[in-house]
Amino acid sequence: MRRARALRDISTMRTLMESAERSARAGGDDLPGPEHLLLAALDLPDGTAAAALGEVGIGRRELEGAVREVHDAALTSIGVDPSSTGSAPPAPRPKVMRSTAPAQEAFNAALHLARTKPRSALVGAHVVAAVAEQQAGTAVRALDHLGVDRDRLVAVALEVAATA
Amino acid sequence: MDHDPAPDQDVDPAAVFARVVALRRTAAQQERAGVAAALEQGWTWARIGQALGISGQAAHKKLGPGPGRTRGGRG
Repeated sequence: MRRARALRDISTMRTLMESAERSARAGGDDLPGPEHLLLAALDLPDGTAAAALGEVGIGRRELEGAVREVHDAALTSIGVDPSSTGSAPPAPRPKVMRSTAPAQEAFNAALHLARTKPRSALVGAHVVAAVAEQQAGTAVRALDHLGVDRDRLVAVALEVAATA
Repeated sequence: MDHDPAPDQDVDPAAVFARVVALRRTAAQQERAGVAAALEQGWTWARIGQALGISGQAAHKKLGPGPGRTRGGRG
């Protein structure tokens, strides 16, 4: 059983990282950050990330919009018109999967949550809890921008993960 | 005698860092857009590197097409 769970976790991690990388490149970022990990968690077939975020009234569209809005607001605050920068080709796909350090930290925290008693397979809700627990960064700002009570989101996500 | 200015308690570090992140990703996007246009217009990597203040080799390594795609001479 332990071996089966480990194999499933490896598959989940790979799916998460590939999806986060696609999301980052589509959004014009070089490397996936925690915000892309959060979006990737929504794609996982276990459905727990969507369930946890749904409990606080957030879906993919709101999350993507909030990420865009926090970047745009930051540029606007120093007089840069976000619409004036035009579009750019996506970053070239790296030869090996990489992510930002905060994304790696969130990833490790999600794994730690899954391995903490009660030990369970890694699911999307663990990622949601791990990202919501972070202290700063784009994902945190996007959740705050949406008015999400992050402590509540962590609690809800852990509850959803425990019953998955 | 000059004194260092006192830290500004009104500054919100989170907002400042959010601007840094937004500017950094905008700069990266501008860089990619510029390189794509330069290569279309026949620029060499040496010229792109000079324009960006780095070596041609560094420019190619950082901004060159991914594996399986080749565009532009490195000279």
